Amino acid sequence: MGQRLTVLVIDHLLSDAAELVDTLSQEGCKVFCPDHANEIIHPFHLEHIDLLCLNPYTQYQSGWQTIVNIKDAARLKAIPILFLCDNNDASMQESCMLEGCFDILIKPFRYRQIAFKINAVAEFRAMQKTLSTQRDEMIMHNEKVLYDHHLAKIVYENITHSNCLNDAALSHFHYGSHTFNGDVILAAYKPSGGMHVVLGDFTGQGLSAAIGALPLADIFFDWTERGFLLKQIILEVNDRLKDILPPNMFCSAAFVDINPNNDGIEIWNGGLPDLLYFSSANKLPKRFKSKNIPLGILSSDVIDYQIDHALFTPGDRLLMFSDGVHEAVDLMGRMFCDAILHPLYKGEMAVDHAVDWLIQQLQQEEILENPHDDMSCIGVRLDVNIGMEVAKRKSLPDYYEVPADFSFEYVLGADSLRSTDPLPYLLQILTTVPGLNHFSSQIFMILSELYSNALEHGVLNLSSNKKSSHDGFSQYYEERKIRLAELKMGYIKFSARVVSDTSQRLLILSVEDSGDGFDFANLNYNLSCSELLYNRGLALLNRLCSKLEFSNGGRVVTAHYQW
Amino acid sequence: MPFFPEGIILIKSSLEKKTGCLTISVIGRFDYTCHKAFKEAFGGVTATCYEVDLSETLYLDSSALGMLLLLRDNAGGEKATVRLLSPNRTVMEVLNMANFGLLFNIVE
Repeated sequence: MGQRLTVLVIDHLLSDAAELVDTLSQEGCKVFCPDHANEIIHPFHLEHIDLLCLNPYTQYQSGWQTIVNIKDAARLKAIPILFLCDNNDASMQESCMLEGCFDILIKPFRYRQIAFKINAVAEFRAMQKTLSTQRDEMIMHNEKVLYDHHLAKIVYENITHSNCLNDAALSHFHYGSHTFNGDVILAAYKPSGGMHVVLGDFTGQGLSAAIGALPLADIFFDWTERGFLLKQIILEVNDRLKDILPPNMFCSAAFVDINPNNDGIEIWNGGLPDLLYFSSANKLPKRFKSKNIPLGILSSDVIDYQIDHALFTPGDRLLMFSDGVHEAVDLMGRMFCDAILHPLYKGEMAVDHAVDWLIQQLQQEEILENPHDDMSCIGVRLDVNIGMEVAKRKSLPDYYEVPADFSFEYVLGADSLRSTDPLPYLLQILTTVPGLNHFSSQIFMILSELYSNALEHGVLNLSSNKKSSHDGFSQYYEERKIRLAELKMGYIKFSARVVSDTSQRLLILSVEDSGDGFDFANLNYNLSCSELLYNRGLALLNRLCSKLEFSNGGRVVTAHYQW
Repeated sequence: MPFFPEGIILIKSSLEKKTGCLTISVIGRFDYTCHKAFKEAFGGVTATCYEVDLSETLYLDSSALGMLLLLRDNAGGEKATVRLLSPNRTVMEVLNMANFGLLFNIVE
């Protein structure tokens, strides 16, 4: 064992030193025995030394100082020291042990004693070398991981942060338990005004959880901007996550579609704690529980898409949070949902400050200091102007507009009406017109009002009277779903014509349905008339369009839009 | 993550030879720390039916839901019958929130 060791022997008693050098050499050690003080702490020696045999009474310099010098020079490398002591010097032996020596060699030396100790030192050095190699590898590895995380975090934030979370209607918090957060909060304005909001919570925490947020954010922002409906976005996200995530990973999420155009919200909850809806009319918040399987588990063709509808009055509030908040544990060991959150569930607090209040509770219960799970929350103050300002603020184009002149017809029969949402495609064609692309939100609003009127009142023959109460609103959409699923006959025909040149910029859009038509002579466009709340779609259309015409007994509506 | 008294998390599994039914029992907290043990409990086992006994499970988190999905996948996915037995109230709430009743046969 001993042959691998390089030993430095320091003893002013030359005969003792010579004896030790002899023995160590016989044991296979490479031995240095300096006879001058300067040689002792020569860095070259220290770097290669595995063991120091030292007489504390050495005359070269104080033995203790020698230790300090050697330890300094060797830095992290802890060189074991064998002190050379006289048999009868008990107090010195005690001091040596206190100084952190590896062992003591008692004089007079005995060969076997030295051999045993050298073997022990050799084993110690081998172990020490393995450990320090492993430590260096770990440090390198950790630095590489941190660097990779740093880069990935930049990409992650670029993708997930391009949203409108700073809108005055929203307040939120987002605490991660790792560098990467498995919770994700996204909000995006819709082209027609209004907003889509999502809170997602991926299985687990850290990088593996955050990775699924990338396709979610990508689809959410892209498809919202292109005018897709919430349902289409959710199903697409679901299928994408199902394809890419391993079977034990999924995403619990809540999606909210805010429609200032009809004062309605749509809520899809798959796996998140109840969403709380606070209105001035009721003390207790309405709870929207999870009715869906989380995203990424089943493919979209077998899932049952369940949403809740609600009508809002400005000032109503919606609050949602991830299970990290719901299941956070207070100082007494109780889950938040069983204790701390009660004032919220019972409507016993100022909901305006609900998000701040939650942060305060998490602080008070010392959860933020050491979070076990990602925690996030978003509150929405519902209002009719959400996302409307932004749509309006889009300024007029100041570049030369290329002339356009085209028309097309697009007819959907019963089979297509059941399964297709034609609006994004129509919007895409119409917004290829230079200049008109700046008004995509207005075009979408016109398209969607004309289409939903033609589908719901024309083809499906639903009466809008049903929508006049909160309960009726839900019934209406239930009925709409049933009738659409059973639709066997009927059609909707879109006819569009665009003329854009130096003298005029005009879109003429006609929508014809196969329904019974309606008595358009008595139509009331008055926005202030609350009795006809659900004619508001038409009232808004009337204001957006330069001309709105009805023909063929109310089966055809033609909108003229100029820009 | 709620606090429960520290205890040994135990995953036990038994394959009933006659019926070919594999039963996995999770005793204690069912979370990511049991990942390996739970996977080993059904890995390489061919069974005709699968049961997870949750009667002594104190709590389960989303990683545990993921492990149940993994078991379901392993058992044949949409064609598989996996029964979850006797969950306590807390566990039931977590299962309900994720609407796992649509994926598993939950026997209360």
